[in-house]
Amino acid sequence: MLPLMVAGGVVTVIMGFVLVVLLISWFSNPPFGLGNAPPQPIAFPHTVHVAENNIQCEFCHRNVTKGEAATVPAVETCLFCHKDIDGGNVTAQAEIEKVRTAFETDTPINWERVHRLPDHVRFIHEAHIRYFTDDDIPIKYGINGEVLADTPDVALTCTICHGDVGNKTVVKPKTGQSLKMGTCLDCHKDNNVPTDCTVCHK
Amino acid sequence: MVTKRTEHKWGMVVDLDRCTGCQACVVACQAENNIPINTKDYFQQRRAYEWIRIERYWEGEFPNVKARFIPILCQHCENAPCEPVCPVFATYHNDEGLNVQIYNRCIGTRYCSVNCPYSVRMFNYWQPNWPDRFRNQLNPDVTVRTRGIMEKCTFCVQRLRRGEVNVERRGLEPLTGERITGEKKLNYRQMKEGNYLPACVQSCPTNALQFSDQHDETGPVKERFDEANEQIETRHHGGHVDESHTRVYRLFEEVGTKPNVIYLKKVDSFPLEKA
Repeated sequence: MLPLMVAGGVVTVIMGFVLVVLLISWFSNPPFGLGNAPPQPIAFPHTVHVAENNIQCEFCHRNVTKGEAATVPAVETCLFCHKDIDGGNVTAQAEIEKVRTAFETDTPINWERVHRLPDHVRFIHEAHIRYFTDDDIPIKYGINGEVLADTPDVALTCTICHGDVGNKTVVKPKTGQSLKMGTCLDCHKDNNVPTDCTVCHK
Repeated sequence: MVTKRTEHKWGMVVDLDRCTGCQACVVACQAENNIPINTKDYFQQRRAYEWIRIERYWEGEFPNVKARFIPILCQHCENAPCEPVCPVFATYHNDEGLNVQIYNRCIGTRYCSVNCPYSVRMFNYWQPNWPDRFRNQLNPDVTVRTRGIMEKCTFCVQRLRRGEVNVERRGLEPLTGERITGEKKLNYRQMKEGNYLPACVQSCPTNALQFSDQHDETGPVKERFDEANEQIETRHHGGHVDESHTRVYRLFEEVGTKPNVIYLKKVDSFPLEKA
């Protein structure tokens, strides 16, 4: 009888472990600390650029209104301002110096990707921004089904999915929406746009 | 209510009189859709796969012999036998007449391939593997499918989606060139022939493969599909179709799958003498 009870106990423990793993991976998105911000080569504060100095998203993420990926800016884009501006304090100056060094030595900055979609999903930034900033479409809905103000600008469109990046010093995957399939589908249904599988899955 | 995407119904016509069996379509498909390289080993195990294949038949006895070629791809059947047997709904018919396979939903039961009369559903037996120098050649619009799932011809649906975005981005009517405005923009996803061609059709040097919307008056396939549908109607009502006067046929028409691919018979000016 005793070996049987031990075996039963082991099975219970294993099943409990599996259950906990499944619960964590379902409810915390992304699971196991993957939602934390990856370490970046340069401590870039969105707060200073967006919230304080009102630079529009598409000024640096240039491709966002033109193509599939939003893209991180080239070093030249940073130098557009930072050849003159060198930050207010010592830490900022040190970070900006890294950008200038990268420009002078022709080395790209290895930014770490924060938002990552699976390989089998196609997402085109340009199409979504074009939809939300279109004057001709009468009513547009946000992620949770709320009606958006008439014709949001590009920056407001970005916050629909990415959250209030402008007021975050460090951008995490969790800053905005979870980017799960349900999020996409809810918004597509609210806005009465196609939900065929092949629209997003490739 | 979800917007009906389009009024499209895609169809292909394969003219066997023009097909020379050159395999350009096979290579184009292989490159477009990230299909792994089939080695001799795979063929010997009968596990090599191609989404479109050229079947070769010999007619007559040596030395009086003729080679016949017929390209076989997914027929995108209206009554697809593969669809009802899938336990996880990984394959379904979308409203554009395409038989769609969703790879990340597929669990690899292979019921669909058993039920397919055309043997065009391919099972991925191995983790796909390319030589390093081929890595940058992969098409970013198509997933690299993992081992253990079914895959098949999609009529290059990734090209359709890319074409749609391009049409919408330009915001012009494809036929008249007028700018699309107002609410029409929401429902406007009309494509015309040329905006969207599958890789095999684009690569065919003799135009043996032709592709367009079945309803498109200016497209190359409407006439043939009308003819084929007429034949089906006639047969359905017990009429007789004179087969010597028509080149149109569908593969395994008697099975009742209603394929969206139509074949045109070979016209042989010098038939073999019957011994």
